[in-house]
Amino acid sequence: MLKLLREVLKVGEATLPYPFEPLEQMPGFRGKPHHDPELCIACGACAIACPPNALSMAADLDQGLQTWKLFMGRCIYCGRCEEVCPTGAITLSPDFELSVMNKQDLFEQADYKLAACHRCGKYFAPVKEIEYAGALLRQSDLPEVVKTNAGALLNICPECKRKNDVSKMVNLYQENKDVAR
Amino acid sequence: MLRDSVSNLTVAEHSKYSIHEDPAAGQLKAALLKDIHRSVYVYRVDCGGCNGCEIEIFAALTPLFDVERFGIKVVSSPRHADVLVYTGSMTRSMRVPALRAYHAAPEPKICVAYGACGCSGGIFHDLYCVWGGADKFIPIDVYIPGCPPTPAATIYGFAISLGILGQKLKTSHHVQGEDEHVSLAHPQVPYLLRVQLERESRRMAGYLYGKQIADTFLTMLEENPNQVKENVQAYLDKQADPRLSEIVARLVTVYDGYQGAV
Repeated sequence: MLKLLREVLKVGEATLPYPFEPLEQMPGFRGKPHHDPELCIACGACAIACPPNALSMAADLDQGLQTWKLFMGRCIYCGRCEEVCPTGAITLSPDFELSVMNKQDLFEQADYKLAACHRCGKYFAPVKEIEYAGALLRQSDLPEVVKTNAGALLNICPECKRKNDVSKMVNLYQENKDVAR
Repeated sequence: MLRDSVSNLTVAEHSKYSIHEDPAAGQLKAALLKDIHRSVYVYRVDCGGCNGCEIEIFAALTPLFDVERFGIKVVSSPRHADVLVYTGSMTRSMRVPALRAYHAAPEPKICVAYGACGCSGGIFHDLYCVWGGADKFIPIDVYIPGCPPTPAATIYGFAISLGILGQKLKTSHHVQGEDEHVSLAHPQVPYLLRVQLERESRRMAGYLYGKQIADTFLTMLEENPNQVKENVQAYLDKQADPRLSEIVARLVTVYDGYQGAV
């Protein structure tokens, strides 16, 4: 009996004092995805990667808005969003106290502006994403000519780019024909 | 009778049969919360889950977390229950049993949607064979998200449903400001070198840790490009992790190769 009591005293209390004291999580614990809306470029990589579609991206082409939405109730804390985020806007925080009484509190939303195409005026990509692509282009080691040519096409929508390419090809074909004659 | 009337419903029809809570029951619920104090009986309704949630509920009963110290007890019949915990994404065939459990529990009762599946259907939300969450036809009081919720999150959720703790999570809506710009993470490092380092690091350590290791290396490179090798060695000695040393050694080789090419 005494031996048992000694053993019990040696082991001490195993139960964690959790709700009365904060619980420290292990490093690498994956809790609530923390989204920094200022760092986000609204590229939508996280929405593509998200297996349960907890993250979603929707474009409103009439209003010119790109809406990022997180539904915490669907998140499985896999961390794929953190892996693919190019700017580090999403990180999985150690926050695990996520229970709510009202389902609406499980939603998080961020609206970003879309840029209009300089040729046709249609909304096509988030302003911040285009800025980021421009910064990457300027930083790259490409020749200056390529940089200027590509930079001029930054604010043009894919459809206008295709039309641009077709007209270029037609011109080139005409020129070649003229040369051949 | 219940079984006959609702078992052959189409998806569109089922919403007509969802239960709406009686306002009188809401008032009774407040009285229940005041009275039950330290004897909360919980009944688990497994509606097509993967059993991860069940394992975490039982982990919450173990000595380490011990929810029974708050008087929370798991019972084996809904007729004894104060709290119904719905886990799983609510498969089509579990609809009737879930409703029977709901009706069998005495009023007033608290319904909890447990886990990502219980809250919304989780990763199975768009499967043909699931309703997608317990709240599709049962009035839910508390949502405990998580896949599965850890025992600590379970305790927190029960504390919320019993009105002991307050809710922390709040909905948020950000609208892009006037001058919101995102700058590049490592503007001093040449683009090609950065891409090579990130690729090699991710190849060695996987996407997440590869990114973190490459970020650490690039930060050291930016801080002091002339002394980067000494700084990296000091950092590795401090970390004392052979796996990290191996990966960072590869990054240094890539860096040397780039320097040689330039």
